Amino acid sequence: MITKKALARRTFLRGMGTAVALPFLDAMVPAMAATRSAKPPVRMAFVYVPNGIIMDGWNPDYEGPLRELPRILKPLEPYREDITLFGNLTHNTGRALLDGAGDHGRCCASYLTGVQPRKTVTDIKAGVSFDQIVANQVGKQTRFPSLELGMEDARQAGDCDSGYSCAYTNNLAWKSETQPLPPVLDPRALFERLFGNGMALTPEARARENFYRRSILDFVSDDTRKLETGLGPTDRRKLDEYLSSIREIERQIEKAERNNAQIDPHMEKPYGVPADFAEHFKLMADMMTVAFQADLTRVITFLVTHEGTSRPYREIDIPDGHHPLTHHRNQADMIEKVARINSYHVRQFAAWIAKMRTIREGDGTLLDNCMIVYGAGLSDGNRHLHEDLPTLIAGRGGSHFKTGRRIVYRRETPMCNLYLTMMERMGVHVEHFGDSTGRLEALDLT
Amino acid sequence: MQFPGTAKPAVGIVFDTAMGGIDDVLALAMLYGFEGKSQARIAAIAVSSGDLSAAQFCDALRLFNAGASTGPGPANLHGMPMGLADGGTAAESSIFNKLGKPVRATGIDSVKDTADPATLMRNALMAQHDQNAAMVLSGAAIDLARLLDMYGAKDWIVRKVRLLCVTGTGKATDSASEKVLAGWPTPMVTVGPEIGEALPFPGGSMEKDFAWSTGHPVVDAYRRYQPMPYDAPSCAMAAMLYTVRPDEAYFKLSDGGKRRHLIFDAGQKERVIRAYIEMASAKPVPRKPRRPPDEKKKEEDKEEKKDEKKDEKKDAAP
Repeated sequence: MITKKALARRTFLRGMGTAVALPFLDAMVPAMAATRSAKPPVRMAFVYVPNGIIMDGWNPDYEGPLRELPRILKPLEPYREDITLFGNLTHNTGRALLDGAGDHGRCCASYLTGVQPRKTVTDIKAGVSFDQIVANQVGKQTRFPSLELGMEDARQAGDCDSGYSCAYTNNLAWKSETQPLPPVLDPRALFERLFGNGMALTPEARARENFYRRSILDFVSDDTRKLETGLGPTDRRKLDEYLSSIREIERQIEKAERNNAQIDPHMEKPYGVPADFAEHFKLMADMMTVAFQADLTRVITFLVTHEGTSRPYREIDIPDGHHPLTHHRNQADMIEKVARINSYHVRQFAAWIAKMRTIREGDGTLLDNCMIVYGAGLSDGNRHLHEDLPTLIAGRGGSHFKTGRRIVYRRETPMCNLYLTMMERMGVHVEHFGDSTGRLEALDLT
Repeated sequence: MQFPGTAKPAVGIVFDTAMGGIDDVLALAMLYGFEGKSQARIAAIAVSSGDLSAAQFCDALRLFNAGASTGPGPANLHGMPMGLADGGTAAESSIFNKLGKPVRATGIDSVKDTADPATLMRNALMAQHDQNAAMVLSGAAIDLARLLDMYGAKDWIVRKVRLLCVTGTGKATDSASEKVLAGWPTPMVTVGPEIGEALPFPGGSMEKDFAWSTGHPVVDAYRRYQPMPYDAPSCAMAAMLYTVRPDEAYFKLSDGGKRRHLIFDAGQKERVIRAYIEMASAKPVPRKPRRPPDEKKKEEDKEEKKDEKKDEKKDAAP
C-alpha cells in the first residue's frame, strides 16, 4: 500500500528500555515519490577468515561467467549469479617490507587499513581503516555508524605474532591509527546493543525480562499493534517476518545459554557464546541480517576467527590446530584438512547469503543492495603470500555490479583499488586510499 | 627476506627497459651476473615497450637463472612478476616484436601474468632499505613518469633511491621524458649513445664465454637479432655497469649537480668490455637454502608446539 503520508525511515518500536528499528517498508515511501526515490541504501560488510586458503580449491581455472565452482567455493554454487570472484588483488603493505617475520599480524592489520603496521607489542600504529572512513560519512544516517563482530579471542595486548601486538591479529576495523575497534563476540551483547536503546538493558528491564522470560518483542507489542493498523498487507507480512526473525535470534541465544550451563566448567565459554561454531556463526549472521534489514548500520566487519588462530575444528573431525595445519609442508593429508576448514567456513557464509537473498527490498533483495566481501589477508598460508588474495563480493552494491563472474586483474593490483571502488558505491568519494592506484575496472554494469 | 639490525644487503636494482636493442638483453644478463655475485639484487624488471613477447623473454631468462640454481622445476614462480606497460600507451616496440616469443619456458601467458610497471616499481622500492636502491632506465620514460604521479611518490623515491641512470642524450623527446628529466628528485646520470658505440660488446663472446650452456636465452636472442657475427652497441650495459659499480672508475663523469653525464674513458675500454663479458655470461650461482631443511623443520615443529601450548592456556583461562 502506498500512502500519501510516509512512515519515517527511522521509526522505532519502543517499550521498557527497548527500541526495535523497522525494516524498509513500502509505507516509508511517499506516494508521489514512489517511482523516483524508493532506492534502499547500499550496505557493505567484510567477512574475514584467517591463515590463508588452499588456493587450488578456490581459484577456478577460467575467467568470465561463473560455471562450476572449485571445491572450497562449492557451497556458493547455488548463488553464483550473486557473487563476483576476483583474481590477483594484492596487499603489498602486508608483506615484510624489511620488517621480517610476522605475516599474520601484518596481513590482518593492513587488510582494511592499507598501511604497513608498526612492528610492536606496545605502541601500536596502523591507519584508519576504510570501513571507518565510510562509517564516518554515512554512519550519521543510521543508529550505529558501524558494527564490529567476531567469534574468537578479543585480546588487545601481548605478542600474537613475532613481535606484533594481538591488537593487530584480533581487529579488522581501526578508528584512528592507534585505536582499533575490538569485535563483539557475545551474541547476547550484540543483541542488546542492537535492540536495547543503544546500550545494555537497564538492570530493571533486564531483571523484569529475566523474571518473566519474555521476549524483547513483548515490550514493544503496544507499539507494534498501533503500527500494524496503518500498514498494507505486504508491509504487515514484511513486519511479521522481520519480528519473527528477531524472536528466532532470541531463542537461539537462550538455547545457547542453556547449553553452556550444562557444559563442563573447563569447557565453558566465557561469553555465553554457542559452543558450536556453525550455530555461533548463524547467530551472528542473523543479527547482521537484521541490522542491515532495519538499516541500523550500513557498515559491518566480521572477523570470523583471528589471524594465526590455532583453533581446532572438532565439529568436522579435525582436532588439529588451524594455523599449524596451514604450514603443511605440502603433505597431502594436512592440505586436505585445511581445505575442509576453508570449505566449512564458506558453507556458513553461503547460508548467510542464502538468507540475505530471500529478503525482499525495493525492487530486488537485501543482498542486491549489499557488498559483502569474503576474503583473507593471505593467499597461500603455508608460504605467507600476500598476492592473489582470495576475495569475492556477494551482492550487487545496489544493482550496480555485474555479478556472476570471475574477474582477473593484472598481478600486483592493489586490494585498495577495490576499496576505492566500494567507497564510491557507498557515496564516499576519495582520490586515494592506502596504496591504491585507481578504481577497479570491469566491475560495474556499464 | 631482509631483517632489521643486520648490514644492508647489496643494492636493489630496478631495471625499466624497452628491450628496444640487443644491449638491453645483455644489460639484463649482466644484472643476473651481478646478482649471482651478490653485488646487486634484482628489485624489479619492467618492460616499457608493451610487447608481451619482451616480458616473456625477461621471464624466460629469470626462470633460466632460477632453474639453473635450484634445479629443474617451476622455480620461483611466485616471485616478483615482470612489469609490462600497457600496449596502448607504449611509445616504442621491442626487438622481440620481431623475434617473437622465446623458445624457453616462461610463466607468462597473457598480460594478466604481468604487473603494471609503476605499481610494481613502487612495491619493489618499498621493500628496499633507505638509499639502497638504484634505477636504470633504458627506453621510453613512460613508466617512470607514471611512478612520479603516484601518491607521495617524490618523498619515498628520495628516501629509497640513490641514483637513476638513464640511457640517451638527456634531452626530452616526449612529455614523459620531459617530466622525468625535469622532476626526478634524486641524482641522475645520463649515458649517451656515444658510450655504446665506443664500447662495443664483442659478438665472438657468444661462442666462447656462453659456451657453458647449450640453450642460453641471451645467445638465442643475440643470434636471431642480426646475422652473425656482429658486435653490439652497449649503451644499456654501460648504464648497468655504472649503476652497480659507481666507484670503479670505469667512466668519467661530467661536472654538475644532481644531473651528470657519463663520459667515455679510453684508458678503461678493455676493462669495461671485460666486465661486460664476465657479468653477462656469468653462470648462475647455486644458492643454498637460507636454512637447511632439517633445521627448518625443527623450527616449524617448535612453533607448532608453542601454538598448541598457547591454545591450551587459552582454553584453561576463566
